[in-house]
Amino acid sequence: MTRQLTKWTVDNRLKFQLSLQLPVDNAAGLTKYIVLLCFTKILKAVGLFESYDLLKVVHIVQFIFILKLGTAFFMVLFQKPFSSGKTITKDQWIKIFKHAVAGCIISLLWFFGLTLCGPLRTLLLFEHSDIVVISLLSVLFTSSGGGPAKTRGAAFFIIAVICLLLFDNDDLMAKMAEHPEGHHDSALTHMLYTAIAFLGVADHKGGVLLLVLALCCKVGFHTASRKLSIDMGGAKRLQALSQLVSVLLLCPWVIVLSVTTESKVESWFSLIMPFITVIFFVMILDFYVDSICLVKIEVSKYACYGSFPIFISALLFGNFWTHPITDQLRAINKPAHEESTEHVLSGGVVVSAVFFILSANILSSPSKRGQKGTFIGYSPEGTPLYNFMGDAFQHSSQSIPRFIKESLKQILEESDSRQIFYFLCLNLLFTFVELFYGVLTNSLGLISDGFHMLFDCSALVMGLFAALMSRWKATRIFSYGYGRIEILSGFINGLFLIVIAFFVFMESVARLIDPPELDTNMLTCILIFNVLILLIGVFLHVLADTLGSIGVIVSTVLIEQFGWFIADPLCSLFIAVLIFLSVIPLIKDACQVLLLRLPQEHEKELHTALEKVTGILKDAGINNLTIQVEKEAYFQHMSGLSTGFHDVLAMTKQMESMKYCKDDTYIM
Amino acid sequence: MGTIHLFRKPQRSFFGKLLEEFRLVAADRRSWKILLFGSINLICTGFLLMWCSSTNSIALTAYTYLTIFDLFSLITCLISYWVMMKKPSPVYSFGFERLEVLAVFASTVLAQLGALFILKESAERFLEQPEIHTGRLLVGTFVALSFNLFTMLSIRNKPFTYVSEAVLGSILQHHISRKSRNLCGIIPGLSSIFLPRMNPFVLIDLAGAFALCITYLLIEINNYFAIDTASAVAIALMTFGTMYPMSVYSGKVLLQTTPPHVIGQLDKLIREVSTLDGVLEVRNEHFWTLGFGSLAGSVHVRIRRDANEQMVLAHVTNRLYTLVSTLTVQIFKDDWVRPALLSGPVAANVLNFSDHHIIPMPFLKHADDVAPVTSTPAKPSSPPPEFSFNTPGKNANPVLLLNTQTRPYGLGLNHGHTQYSNMLNQGLGVPGIGATQGFRTGFTNLPHRYGNNNRIGQPRP
Repeated sequence: MTRQLTKWTVDNRLKFQLSLQLPVDNAAGLTKYIVLLCFTKILKAVGLFESYDLLKVVHIVQFIFILKLGTAFFMVLFQKPFSSGKTITKDQWIKIFKHAVAGCIISLLWFFGLTLCGPLRTLLLFEHSDIVVISLLSVLFTSSGGGPAKTRGAAFFIIAVICLLLFDNDDLMAKMAEHPEGHHDSALTHMLYTAIAFLGVADHKGGVLLLVLALCCKVGFHTASRKLSIDMGGAKRLQALSQLVSVLLLCPWVIVLSVTTESKVESWFSLIMPFITVIFFVMILDFYVDSICLVKIEVSKYACYGSFPIFISALLFGNFWTHPITDQLRAINKPAHEESTEHVLSGGVVVSAVFFILSANILSSPSKRGQKGTFIGYSPEGTPLYNFMGDAFQHSSQSIPRFIKESLKQILEESDSRQIFYFLCLNLLFTFVELFYGVLTNSLGLISDGFHMLFDCSALVMGLFAALMSRWKATRIFSYGYGRIEILSGFINGLFLIVIAFFVFMESVARLIDPPELDTNMLTCILIFNVLILLIGVFLHVLADTLGSIGVIVSTVLIEQFGWFIADPLCSLFIAVLIFLSVIPLIKDACQVLLLRLPQEHEKELHTALEKVTGILKDAGINNLTIQVEKEAYFQHMSGLSTGFHDVLAMTKQMESMKYCKDDTYIM
Repeated sequence: MGTIHLFRKPQRSFFGKLLEEFRLVAADRRSWKILLFGSINLICTGFLLMWCSSTNSIALTAYTYLTIFDLFSLITCLISYWVMMKKPSPVYSFGFERLEVLAVFASTVLAQLGALFILKESAERFLEQPEIHTGRLLVGTFVALSFNLFTMLSIRNKPFTYVSEAVLGSILQHHISRKSRNLCGIIPGLSSIFLPRMNPFVLIDLAGAFALCITYLLIEINNYFAIDTASAVAIALMTFGTMYPMSVYSGKVLLQTTPPHVIGQLDKLIREVSTLDGVLEVRNEHFWTLGFGSLAGSVHVRIRRDANEQMVLAHVTNRLYTLVSTLTVQIFKDDWVRPALLSGPVAANVLNFSDHHIIPMPFLKHADDVAPVTSTPAKPSSPPPEFSFNTPGKNANPVLLLNTQTRPYGLGLNHGHTQYSNMLNQGLGVPGIGATQGFRTGFTNLPHRYGNNNRIGQPRP
């Protein structure tokens, strides 16, 4: 018994080491574990598809009960939790009880999500390893997420979830959402259904949210149970006991259920095989292989290799599960192959699967902190020392809401940035009104105009951000402060305007050749809108917008009054040229500053000042003004210093060419 | 040597000047090749744009923008040749190296703006997917791909090669290298093929062509037109991923930042300098990259009153110019000005030392500008208008004069109106902090620059 304990402490130490991403030399024999892991994950996918089929006939609580029963049976058989290990105190029993309750709730959520979204989406959402979720949460809720790569991964994850929520047309589920209060098997499912209906989302979307919640719970549960598993002398023993307790917990509920409701199951005997496969694939095999692989493979690699096969196989099974090919895999044989439409593969699911795979890949990879540092030397122990420098470290210590709050305060402090900000807000408001109205009336013209405006807003956002940044304090890297950012953003804005002018030009040339018919009803709307923009533009002195509005108004009036459809491209041509011409001086100025040119407004004064100096020197009796640098002493020292002797030689030669070494008077 | 031709008015027209510079560049044989490629590029782009409108494919348009970006990179290459030939002018006293950086920045930003435009267009197409004709799609793809690859591999584009090696790697490169490393972990033999970092431009060209091929196949087989928009988005995102690190890198050069990787070395050098004999403190140190790879810097060194400033100057420059090629060192010796002397307006603070001939510059600041005089002027916490920048540049340093008492020329400098004297203050390197009197300016430079006598001070940041 002591041997097992030490083994487990060793295992846990290893795990902690791995989670610290210390390099562990395990290249040898890695491949067989990876293959094992992949195989198990594929089998798990099969098991989940199986259990979805089972859940159609078996009540969820009964299903979980049977699952737990089977698992507990096997694990007690294998682990012998009572005969081996330390005796369990009363305190520990209470903890195991809590553990079992939490485990039951999570599996309930999980399988309920499965009934709602189908196996494919459940696999995509729920089968993320802990490290992925933990690094996702740390990116989202702490500021030290671990660099841009992790942020990218988190963004991918969120995009994937959003894809499932918004772009996944799960038709059958939408139908089911129409009668959420229909026949529900138990009070529990009814409660969950009403909760989802209360949220106002379709059922499968509710399932997605439920699964995300369950995923977070699972990770928290795993983290919390880590200590308990050490106390108990190993995760396996804990698992066995906890399963047993949860079987006892669920037992009364299942008895009540089976008494009160009539079962849909025709013969329990035919379900034995499917249940055994599910128990083996989903619970036991997965658990054991996980615990082996976590020891042998690095956590990051484990997460990577574990998630990839399960997602891919989920996609494949999602496509082929109802297909005749997979008949051998399916334990429940349906009498006929009706064309199943539930939870089919859709574009949104594929896209989100791709994003899930990417994000799991990125989030699970160990963060390399050493990349940005500069190498200084070696410590006495021989490990390399890095010097972490850079502004990213200084600014990343803030949390996002506080950053937004502070920057808003800064923006509103000064008048010019305040004006830009208000204009931006107004523009965004109009954009969203336009987009919303466009979606409401299903008018493509309005929606695309909204996108146009969003595109234009990006320039404003950049200008605002630059105005904000230019007030930051100087740092080591930006030793002159951030003032030049405004100039650089002016330069980018100029380029932006040129690009816009170019595209407008091309478009209007195309329209001149082939003028399209315009919808005059919409024109009135645009007219009113542009008058507004014009007024604001005049008020805020935004030249380009004002000009554009004038052009649009003129062209709209011309088209409305006279039906000249040619007026629109002509006007836009004119506007494009005007924008282009107005931008050129802006870009030229910015270029000159960026090229470190002598400021033009100071040229004259500097010139006169220099002339004054030369005049003074002339008065002092020095006529032939030459610029000479150094004194004899300097050269002596310079040549005395060994490095750069050749340069000094060159300098000395130049000095000789200047005949001004008579006395100590050197004029620069 | 004599007259300083500072502000000659341009006599020729803009185009005339352009033509002249063009001739200068065209004299080089290497630029002929670029010009040839440029003209082929123009033709190619024209055809591609035509095919874009005929196929109505936005993915091809996105790919065409990469070809246009190639044109920009060729122009950048031409500019870098021009920059190599061009000597610094009085107005552009730092030379034209930064033009190269600016060109890289502008072309990467333009590529990103094009990608942004593609994103916008594809957002509109997402709502209403038009029909795509596959007729010229594959032809266009292969024409563009072969031309891009040919250009990238046959022309040695110095600035872009530098930037792409200097940046930590685009997102695409990261992914490819990580994948290939993983692959190499499984199959070790492949490491020689995959592990060297790929050229990001070649990578994005190949990836874009791959996306277009998939588009073609799916449209041909399934008439699945949405894939066109999707691959346009993918190409645009890849463009962002490739261009963004480069524009950040070149933008940082344009923003006059100290490159992080030299900070350690610079710190070491500054520490060495501050422990030199006679040096009291080193302050207002500014280092920035002028062009790609060349560092410029300015440093103020305050020394003890009995120290030999020439010696300190020599040591300081000797230490620093191994790293910093364009260096301005300003030496202050302020201990000998007693505060009591400063109460008088001018002239009283003229002191002479036995073996140094120092003319303290007269006090030009107006009374309200004068900082509280201490022996160590307070270092401004946030940089005010940096006078280190306004120090007289390479030539304008009136460093040493003998025989000061004969003519109090400080008065001559002082008679101007307010703006003028302020100007002089900033422009001629009389430091705004009142107590700093005698100063030396030494600069080391690339040796060939020593002959350039007609250079004026740096423009202000």
